[in-house]
Amino acid sequence: MARMKFICDSERCIECNGCVTACKAEHDVPWGVNRRRVVTLNDGQPGEKSISVACMHCSDAPCMAVCPVDCFYRTDEGVVLHDKDVCIGCGYCSYACPFGAPQFPSNGTFGLRGKMDKCTFCAGGPEANGSAAEFEKYGRNRLAEGKLPACAEMCSTKALLGGDGDVVADIFRTRVLTRNKGSEVWGWGTAYGKPTGGATPAPAKPETSKS
Amino acid sequence: QPAAAGAVASAPAAVAAPEPKPDDTNAQRAKSQPGNNAPFWRAVRESGQQQGYTSLPGAEKGTLIQSFVQYPGSRLTTAGEAWRQVRNQWIIPYGGSLLLIAVLALAIFYKTKGPLGGHHADTGRKIERFTPFERAAHWANAGAFVALAVSGIVMAFGKFFLLPVIGSTLFGWLTFLLKNVHNFVGPLFAVSLLIVIVTFIKDNIANSADFVWLKRAGGMLGGGGEVPSHRFNAGEKGMFWWGVTVPGIVIVASGLVLDKLVPGFGELRGEMQIAHMVHAVAAMVMMTALIGHIYMGTIGVKGALGAMKTGWVDEGWAKEHHELWYDDVKAGKIPAQRSGQPAPGGVASPVARA
Amino acid sequence: MLLTRRSTATGPNTSGLVNSLARGVARAVPTMDRRAFLRRSGMGVGAGIAASQLTLVKKVQAADSKAAADGGKKVEVKRTVCGHCSVGCAIDAVVENGVWVRQEPVFDSPINLGAHCAKGAAVRENGHGEYRLKSPMKLVDGKYKKISWDEALNEISQKMLALRKESGPDSVYVVGSSKHNNEQAYLLRKWMTLWGSNNCDHQARICHSTTVAGVANTWGYGAMTNSYNDMQNAKAALYIGSNAAEAHPVSMLHVLHAKETGCKMIVVDPRFTRTAAKADQYVRLRSGTDIAFLFGVMYHVFKNGWEDKKYVEDRVYGMDKVRDEVLAKWTPDKVQEVCGVDEATCLQVAKTMAENRPSTIVWCMGQTQHTIGNAMVRASCLLQLALGNIGKSGGGANIFRGHDNVQGATDVGPNPDSLPGYYGLAEGSFKHFAKAWGVDFEWIKKQYAPGMMSKSGITVSRWIDGVMEKNELIDQDSNIRGMFFWGHAPNSQTRGLEMKKAMDKLDLLVVVDPFPSATAAMAAMPGQGGNANRAVYLLPATTQFETSGSCTASNRSIQWREKVIDPLWESRTDHMIMYQLAQKLGFDKELVKNYKMVKGKGGMDEPETESILREINKCVWTIGYTGQSPERLKAHMRNMNVFDVKTLRAKGGIDKETGYKLDGDFFGLPWPCYGTPELKHPGSPNLYDTSKHVMDGGGNFRANFGVEREGVSLLAGDGSHSAGADLTMGYPEFDHLLLKKLGWWDELSEDEKKAAEGKNWKTDSSGGIIRVAMKNHGCHPFGNAKARAVVWNFPDPIPQHREPLYSNRADLVEKYPTHDDKKAFWRLPTLYKTVQEKNKDIGKTYPLVMTSGRLVEFEGGGEETRSNPWLAELQQDMFVELNPKAANDRGIRNGDYVWVKTPPMQAVPEFKGIKVKALVTERVGADTVFLPFHFSGRWGGVDLLPYYPEGAHPVVRGESVNVATTYGYDSVTMMQETKTTVCQIEKATA
Ligand SMILES: Nc1nc2c(c(=O)[nH]1)N[C@H]1C(S)=C(S)[C@@H](COP(=O)(O)OP(=O)(O)OC[C@H]3O[C@@H](n4cnc5c(=O)[nH]c(N)nc54)[C@H](O)[C@@H]3O)O[C@H]1N2
Ligand SMILES: Nc1nc2c(c(=O)[nH]1)N[C@H]1C(S)=C(S)[C@@H](COP(=O)(O)OP(=O)(O)OC[C@H]3O[C@@H](n4cnc5c(=O)[nH]c(N)nc54)[C@H](O)[C@@H]3O)O[C@H]1N2
Ligand code: HEM
Ligand code: HEM
Ligand code: SF4
Ligand code: SF4
Ligand code: SF4
Ligand code: SF4
Ligand code: SF4
Ligand SMILES: [Mo]
Repeated sequence: MARMKFICDSERCIECNGCVTACKAEHDVPWGVNRRRVVTLNDGQPGEKSISVACMHCSDAPCMAVCPVDCFYRTDEGVVLHDKDVCIGCGYCSYACPFGAPQFPSNGTFGLRGKMDKCTFCAGGPEANGSAAEFEKYGRNRLAEGKLPACAEMCSTKALLGGDGDVVADIFRTRVLTRNKGSEVWGWGTAYGKPTGGATPAPAKPETSKS
Repeated sequence: QPAAAGAVASAPAAVAAPEPKPDDTNAQRAKSQPGNNAPFWRAVRESGQQQGYTSLPGAEKGTLIQSFVQYPGSRLTTAGEAWRQVRNQWIIPYGGSLLLIAVLALAIFYKTKGPLGGHHADTGRKIERFTPFERAAHWANAGAFVALAVSGIVMAFGKFFLLPVIGSTLFGWLTFLLKNVHNFVGPLFAVSLLIVIVTFIKDNIANSADFVWLKRAGGMLGGGGEVPSHRFNAGEKGMFWWGVTVPGIVIVASGLVLDKLVPGFGELRGEMQIAHMVHAVAAMVMMTALIGHIYMGTIGVKGALGAMKTGWVDEGWAKEHHELWYDDVKAGKIPAQRSGQPAPGGVASPVARA
Repeated sequence: MLLTRRSTATGPNTSGLVNSLARGVARAVPTMDRRAFLRRSGMGVGAGIAASQLTLVKKVQAADSKAAADGGKKVEVKRTVCGHCSVGCAIDAVVENGVWVRQEPVFDSPINLGAHCAKGAAVRENGHGEYRLKSPMKLVDGKYKKISWDEALNEISQKMLALRKESGPDSVYVVGSSKHNNEQAYLLRKWMTLWGSNNCDHQARICHSTTVAGVANTWGYGAMTNSYNDMQNAKAALYIGSNAAEAHPVSMLHVLHAKETGCKMIVVDPRFTRTAAKADQYVRLRSGTDIAFLFGVMYHVFKNGWEDKKYVEDRVYGMDKVRDEVLAKWTPDKVQEVCGVDEATCLQVAKTMAENRPSTIVWCMGQTQHTIGNAMVRASCLLQLALGNIGKSGGGANIFRGHDNVQGATDVGPNPDSLPGYYGLAEGSFKHFAKAWGVDFEWIKKQYAPGMMSKSGITVSRWIDGVMEKNELIDQDSNIRGMFFWGHAPNSQTRGLEMKKAMDKLDLLVVVDPFPSATAAMAAMPGQGGNANRAVYLLPATTQFETSGSCTASNRSIQWREKVIDPLWESRTDHMIMYQLAQKLGFDKELVKNYKMVKGKGGMDEPETESILREINKCVWTIGYTGQSPERLKAHMRNMNVFDVKTLRAKGGIDKETGYKLDGDFFGLPWPCYGTPELKHPGSPNLYDTSKHVMDGGGNFRANFGVEREGVSLLAGDGSHSAGADLTMGYPEFDHLLLKKLGWWDELSEDEKKAAEGKNWKTDSSGGIIRVAMKNHGCHPFGNAKARAVVWNFPDPIPQHREPLYSNRADLVEKYPTHDDKKAFWRLPTLYKTVQEKNKDIGKTYPLVMTSGRLVEFEGGGEETRSNPWLAELQQDMFVELNPKAANDRGIRNGDYVWVKTPPMQAVPEFKGIKVKALVTERVGADTVFLPFHFSGRWGGVDLLPYYPEGAHPVVRGESVNVATTYGYDSVTMMQETKTTVCQIEKATA
């Protein structure tokens, strides 16, 4: 089974927010909930770079580990999904997630956050694939339609790659080889367990999911 | 002319690449070691402290990856992961064990020793131990606590003992309900706790008798029956301070943060993680302590429940469990009836009448 | 459940513990349906949005149930093109039972390969249009009231006819739109001509007018010479005054690819932009000094002999004069003094551009929007000509155009100084079109006020002066009394404070727009002493997704949009509105004579867009809009996969529907696509490229400025002809005489001869001259000449640096003063020196240079994009970029509110300034501030919400920078100065 992963190539990302609105539009995500966002470091200075971030669908997902109601599950493709019917909106997943992926429609006074929402890798949720119920709660299920995430498919510069970990790593590796720099893979160490942190010359060979 | 041009042309080439330094900015590094973005990736790592730019409003939107921290008991890792380790590897297993052990110990105690007290026969004369206000405060507080404890336990441990039994739909629904109960009862508990503390603090200040009591563990050691105590014995006082007041305040404070009711707190995940760990640890301590209290207040000590239920105790009970207090009442230092409530059976203490 | 329902009441958002508790309890109900989910998102500015998305869901559901009744869903995929910028990204719209439910990337598109920026990825919202104007409205007692279309059209046309009677046709001004498709833009120019006035314009005036004029006068056509795709072939790219990463994001796809294979990228901009972040070299210059910088670079080019001498010799006129001027006047010290860039930096830029040829240049608004814009763009041309980069793949002047169809609207739309296809306002041109339209020329002439037919109209940048200027000083009978905003925002033009006064003075204001709100709010906002009889109407137009038509991307490729959905609400297509107004005004027959009429909204007649395009094909010869028949364009859209991404050329491919063979065509038949469609010209991917045969899209510089100047030939040198041309020397443009002289006349058919007799290639309605020249002889119909380094008919034949009218550098004003004032320039007196002298010391009070530009999320005046919640969420506040040093000096911290104050506000003491948030950032230097120009809906600190038509207000509102911008216009085109002026910033207390 393919193991789904994201790569955001910071040498290419231009902070155009295409990925962000692609997600919003595809899934009708409401105002205030940001499944994906783009962050720019060294803003306005030479060396400025941007990274688009959403749920990384971690191998050993902290969100999943702390959920009091165990509503997360992992698909065969390594996508970390959750069941909104079970979610109690406690916010623990958001405390645990290194990437700030889990989102809530409300602000959390009295612990009232509403059901957690996060990037599904465009893979919907526990309801029947492509059903109306699934769409209403989780948005489209593109994977089931044989498509890849909307954000990555529409990325203006192809900075954001999403799909089979082996394939995206390969595309990225080729790119790194032609340009001879910018090999660091954003967040892979944290999300997928291999140390990259910043300095490995080429993306770590993606590990296959354990579960 | 070509010569002159050549001289100018070589000018930029003559500028030697600067030496790479560890604290280079990414711009400097791009010149000193093209292709090496280490400063940028350091900035990514530090985006928890030094936020990046994003146009989206909201706290921590500019954080790419949580800061690295080491919480007590965790590795040095991203804050979320560290928090997960503390919670999942310490608080949940050890807190759970603590609670289980407490329950188990009391069960064994009850099995072996049975309920305490009942050595003095009832005299039929009643002393007012708790005024209606005191009782109301106590029971409001107790009610809230139980609700909080039950809901808290389900949140913390439910997935181990309830989820497998009732299935995720029902469990999710139940936990959602209980979580909301917890989140709304919490602030009520905060108020009632304050009243309880204010109400009972006077009689829970330690005095010399308490040392004797403690030395003999309330009479369990050395024989000779119960050690005389004032209105509350040292055990109760200990419970008041270390099982109620201190953890209570900690829990309330952290709980209010978790509830996002403290202005200026609760926006950041780091704050929430710390609040949670403090909350959960204090909750485990308090629950353990109060399991003991509840045991003593119900089946552990004969007649104790009645005191909280009706407000009155028999003089015999008072003499057995709180002899010094009984003496003070008898001596008229403390009125036998402090409120206007009618005594059960209409039999007021003769002392009080005197 | 009751509790849940109660919480939905959208009352005032009183905060406080009690309230949040109440809300909290209501939310604690453990159900989570879609609606609750949406409702719960209702926080802050988004409060109204959840509700709107609700109706959206309902709509889909409604459609679903209807479908269920019909027995099944109908899913269609319509191919359209993003309506925001000139990149022209293709989109597949998924339509379910008439509702636009999804949007899919078109990976096959050679232009965008499925990629989109924020705006493109969010266009589906247009298909819902919750914040659009839903019906015609009229301003009654300061409030907008709904009226019927009939009422609106009757009243508007009666007013127009009354104005015409009292003050002549020039008293009505129409601002058209670069958002219109080619057919609508063309039809609007025709509509204006039949009404009898040249008082029409559109966004290009305030966008690339200086480019169009400057570049066309340099080498022939005023357009981007190459394409985004061709930039993949560049070895170096100099971006000067373009922030492509925000303004043309998908273009970066190609450039970053080039960069990865070694292309060196240089960005020259007063700000460190998102584009600069991707550059190998970033150069910060003082805003408004591009000429000094470019000549500073050319100084090193000439000094080192890096110019392409043979190329210059054969193909450029007057470069020697430029060379002398540059070497004498733009020595490194002068360059540094003016633009702040040192010698080594200029040298390095020169070196990079010279050593990595073909090198390309990209410019955009940073160059065009200045009083000296026409000269700046020519300085860019000069660098490229010197390096021999024009007419080369990988080189060229990649001038990134603006709106999705600003190129097309410039080419064939409502321009005040030309008819479609840049045919000048000479009688001959009118005759050419009268014939094509089947209308009597004399009748058209009668429609115009006497003598006004050949006089360029007022420009959109100056319409306020057309209203306000003393009547005796303007070069037309009456002042402007009626205004149409037909797809154009008001907050995109400068001098907003004065605009409000002008708006109040009008007799008639008509806004035809899907999102008319900025104009609407401004008009309804109370003013002082306006015209008591003013009539204001808002007409809901459709967007481009509710009609079909063609649009021209920046690279001149033309793409056909299919209609995605039926017009929403009560909106009507622009061409239907034009037709219906023409009916009331009495020239409908003339307007639609050649068109097939089809049923549009509500079963009403409207001209078929295909037949309008066919009319364009029949008459716009000048720029080769003739080969792009609807059939060919549609075949391209259906078969995008056959086009190569780097060359844009089709490799094989046969359209299944029509059997059309695509092989050899360039994608979108980039104009010029000469001759008739039958000639099968493939379009021109890179202009002036002599390495290719003209029938392969090759070419050379245009012979448009005579054949000789001061004894020097203007025709190209021997041997510098397009590949395979029978004429291997320079030659003038083709006409019947030249054809006869060459002995090629008899290659025309009898019918062609009849049409071509007495005509030139631009007016020969058969296309015969073109056919013979190109197909039979490989010659370019517009001749083969030299590019002009010296544009002698411009105020500064060789570009001169001149300080902006409002400059904080009194010392440089002294050395580089502006032009003298002009009388009757585009019908209006226009000030230069007077203003500059008066404000010589303005820098003492307003020490900061103020510039403005774009954010990736919003577009233009921004009503459309700020009404789109998916975009609006990403930029919720108008802001000013301020350097930390400038901020510290003023006690300002990031996120504080500040007042931005500019000179025109001195005249309006009650106006405190524009109140915006401070974004403290290193992007700008300490002496410069930047403001995005996409905001409107706040005015001097006040929210204009009460003045919007109900329900049609953008989600995010903010102060408009153009309320603060100052006077200043380009000396050739009337481009407004929006890039360099001055301001002061103060912290806003409380
Ligand atoms: N997101 C988005 N994209 C758009 C549009 C939009 O509104 N939003 N509009 C479209 C349109 S209509 C257009 S015309 C294009 C415009 O596209 P651009 O021209 O690329 O955009 P701007 O931000 O107006 O200006 C570009 C840069 O010019 C710089 N600048 C200012 N003054 C000077 C100067 O004196 N010299 C130089 N060299 N640079 C200077 C500014 O700092 C800015 O970074 O974008 C198109 N694309
Ligand atoms: N300070 C400052 N000012 C500037 C600039 C700057 O950089 N700085 N840039 C200038 C430039 S380059 C430009 S191009 C202008 C842009 O400014 P404008 O073009 O005036 O702004 P837009 O908001 O794009 O205006 C287009 C209008 O057309 C409407 N519209 C969209 N589709 C259709 C349609 O199919 N039919 C009709 N009838 N209407 C439609 C939209 O709703 C919108 O109201 O601003 C200029 N102003
Ligand atoms: C004194 C009695 C209390 C006990 C025993 C208690 C116990 C707990 C427990 C066990 C948890 C779950 C920890 C986990 O799953 O890791 C928890 C969570 C929480 N508690 Fe308490 N708590 C008490 C009081 C309070 C008070 C007074 C407040 C607020 C004012 C509060 C607010 C919270 C909040 C907000 C959470 C987070 C869980 C969520 O939002 O779903 N608690 N508590
Ligand atoms: C359902 C559970 C509980 C029961 C059955 C119970 C029962 C009792 C009884 C019988 C007494 C009287 C003991 C005496 O007369 O000396 C008592 C006292 C007291 N209880 Fe509880 N209790 C419960 C929960 C709580 C809780 C949750 C708190 C506080 C958080 C609390 C705080 C106190 C205090 C402060 C006293 C007074 C004794 C002292 O101050 O030392 N109780 N309780
Ligand atoms: S990125 Fe966050 S939410 Fe996603 S799987 Fe990892 S921990 Fe969970
Ligand atoms: S918010 Fe929902 S998904 Fe997240 S940890 Fe809590 S219950 Fe699990
Ligand atoms: S993968 Fe899908 S759900 Fe996740 S951010 Fe991208 S578009 Fe949104
Ligand atoms: S769409 Fe691509 S380039 Fe744009 S912000 Fe997202 S990841 Fe970056
Ligand atoms: S705005 Fe321009 S770059 Fe963005 S999607 Fe539309 S056409 Fe493409
Ligand atoms: Mo523009």
